[in-house]
Amino acid sequence: MRQTLDNIKHFLAIILVAAIGSFCHSCSDEPSYQNSRLGNFDALAHIIDTRYCFFAEKDIDWSEVTARYREMITDETTLVELFNICSAMLDELKDGHVNLISPFSTSYYRNWWSDYPQDFNLRTLQQYYLDFDYYQTSGISYKIISEDIAYMYYPSFSSGIGQLNLDYIMALLSPAKALIIDIRDNGGGLLTNVEVLASRFITEETPGGSIVHKTGPGHDEFSEPYPFSYQPAPASRVSWDMSKPVFLLTNRSCYSAANDFVAVMKSIPGVTVVGARTGGGGGLPFSSELPNGWAVRFSASPIYGPDGAITEFGIDPDIEIHCKPDDLASGYDAILSAAILLAKAAIPSELSPPPHQIILRTPGFLHFLC
Amino acid sequence: MAILKLMQINRPLRILAILLVLGCAVPAAASSSEQVVVEVGEAQEDCELPSGPFDIAYEEAAVAADIAECRRPVIGSYRIEIGKRFDFASYLSPFSYSGTNVALSGFWTKVMPRHPESMAMTFDGRANFGNLLNPAGTAREIDLHAQFRWGLEWQRRFAGQWLVSVGGNAGVYGGMVYLPRNGNNPAAAQFAIGIGAQAYASKLVRIGRLPLLISDRLALPLAGAFFCQQYGESYYEIYLGNRKGLAHFGWPGNRFGIDNLLMVTFDFGTTAMELGYRFSFQNEQANRLTTRFTSHSLVIGVIPGSIGVKAGKRNEITPLF
Repeated sequence: MRQTLDNIKHFLAIILVAAIGSFCHSCSDEPSYQNSRLGNFDALAHIIDTRYCFFAEKDIDWSEVTARYREMITDETTLVELFNICSAMLDELKDGHVNLISPFSTSYYRNWWSDYPQDFNLRTLQQYYLDFDYYQTSGISYKIISEDIAYMYYPSFSSGIGQLNLDYIMALLSPAKALIIDIRDNGGGLLTNVEVLASRFITEETPGGSIVHKTGPGHDEFSEPYPFSYQPAPASRVSWDMSKPVFLLTNRSCYSAANDFVAVMKSIPGVTVVGARTGGGGGLPFSSELPNGWAVRFSASPIYGPDGAITEFGIDPDIEIHCKPDDLASGYDAILSAAILLAKAAIPSELSPPPHQIILRTPGFLHFLC
Repeated sequence: MAILKLMQINRPLRILAILLVLGCAVPAAASSSEQVVVEVGEAQEDCELPSGPFDIAYEEAAVAADIAECRRPVIGSYRIEIGKRFDFASYLSPFSYSGTNVALSGFWTKVMPRHPESMAMTFDGRANFGNLLNPAGTAREIDLHAQFRWGLEWQRRFAGQWLVSVGGNAGVYGGMVYLPRNGNNPAAAQFAIGIGAQAYASKLVRIGRLPLLISDRLALPLAGAFFCQQYGESYYEIYLGNRKGLAHFGWPGNRFGIDNLLMVTFDFGTTAMELGYRFSFQNEQANRLTTRFTSHSLVIGVIPGSIGVKAGKRNEITPLF
């Protein structure tokens, strides 16, 4: 019996040595933030410091920012106050992709769009331009609106686009002589949907831009830009005839994936971007978390346009037009009306209506024409 | 019998056939339910000898291999493991998640035909499922992993009914840790192939009148290749085609692991039962990212058929003791 116990001891000793060896392996990379007011704040500051990707472009001294907000935290700071302080600190990044997510609220930097004209009213569009009569599939509303001008409205790249649905859309709109793609108020979504939609407007491999990622925690540690391109849809799919003009309508609320869509479409010959500068959002967002369980979302991987320009701050249209709120309220969408006029002008003359008819129908547009 | 039929074809193919059969013997045997230990004499009677003219040397080799095949019992163990798991994937979160670990595993071993007393082959597979929470309990992480290892080990028996084995293995490992609430970094995918070292020690003991086999099996990865994305790289970028810096040479300095199973085996004559504790640890560091798994599991296993422990002494060709 004693010998048996000795043997068991030998085995346990072997296991102990093995276990100690494994536990002794480096664990120093795992931070040890306390679940306290300052612990959570420091964790948030560190996550952004090591993983956020636009410090240089936005000329932000993060150390100064964090020091300034850290002073506001005391032992009496409540959870809600902590949330507000952290949110205000994150707002310094001026980035719509940055959120702090707690059980009671999600912070969101709104000024990237709230400081600008909205340039869009869905009711005006549906009532005065679509007459509440249009097809809708895969999140896309579409119709041939007048005089051989096709129109499609895609409000979110989060809505998956079925290839077959897109075939039908393209086929039903194909009799038109020009196409207006309206992505105003499109806050983004899946980049794969950008690829699906853009593929119907290209006839050959087209540069989509380039993507960069961080290679380490330093503010300047980035990979080389990796260029990517989009392929045209297979011949078996229905694509838009690019000999016919395409007009892409944008406003400040076009963000993230919508912004990337504008970047690639703008580079395609035959496409004219009409409206307002987009909102940007050129950084692919990552997520992380704080000791208390709050989640944080932040831009981590910059995407550049086909021309190599940063898209974080938005993309200018080819023709800038804004809508007056009063006009929108009264049923006049200056951007869409301008696009209709431009489309009519781009259609071969034998197919275009007399110009005065357009002017009579849209009196507020005379100013633009001048 | 496949070997004997292949004797009718040319030399290189015969050699290849022998090697293939030897290499696949464990998995093939594992799929069989036959666990009965066949005595040498019986094996010779059961084995169908070839007929017809062919090369004498290969005939002898084939016969020897075939006889050995018949006399090598395959010991298969089927296990369920339940325990605690800790995952740390810095790509996903700066904090460790902890929770329940459940695994199904199998282990098969048999002696080598030419050195039945001193060499054994092992094959083990394991599928893990982990359900974990962050320290605050506000986010759930799912861990799915599977691994397969083929090993060959040299065995030596010592006085006092000790058996010690050391050897090497080759294996493949893959899986992911999935954190649904993350956006473009929702999972830490893992894939590795490589070679490693393994060791085994066992001793027949008797507690009162109850004979037991106490054993410990240890496996350590030594070298290979593994996948790790870049520090801030999204899967979308990988999908776009940027594969630079994803594959890494692994060695204990950047991919350290230990898999240790301490087991007590009870032999009931027709079936043996295992009760044990598995400690598993793995730490990968590449591209300034760390992925670390630790688990402690209670292991319950069943070995169909006797392993000879009940008799209290080693009376068969078995690689276990």
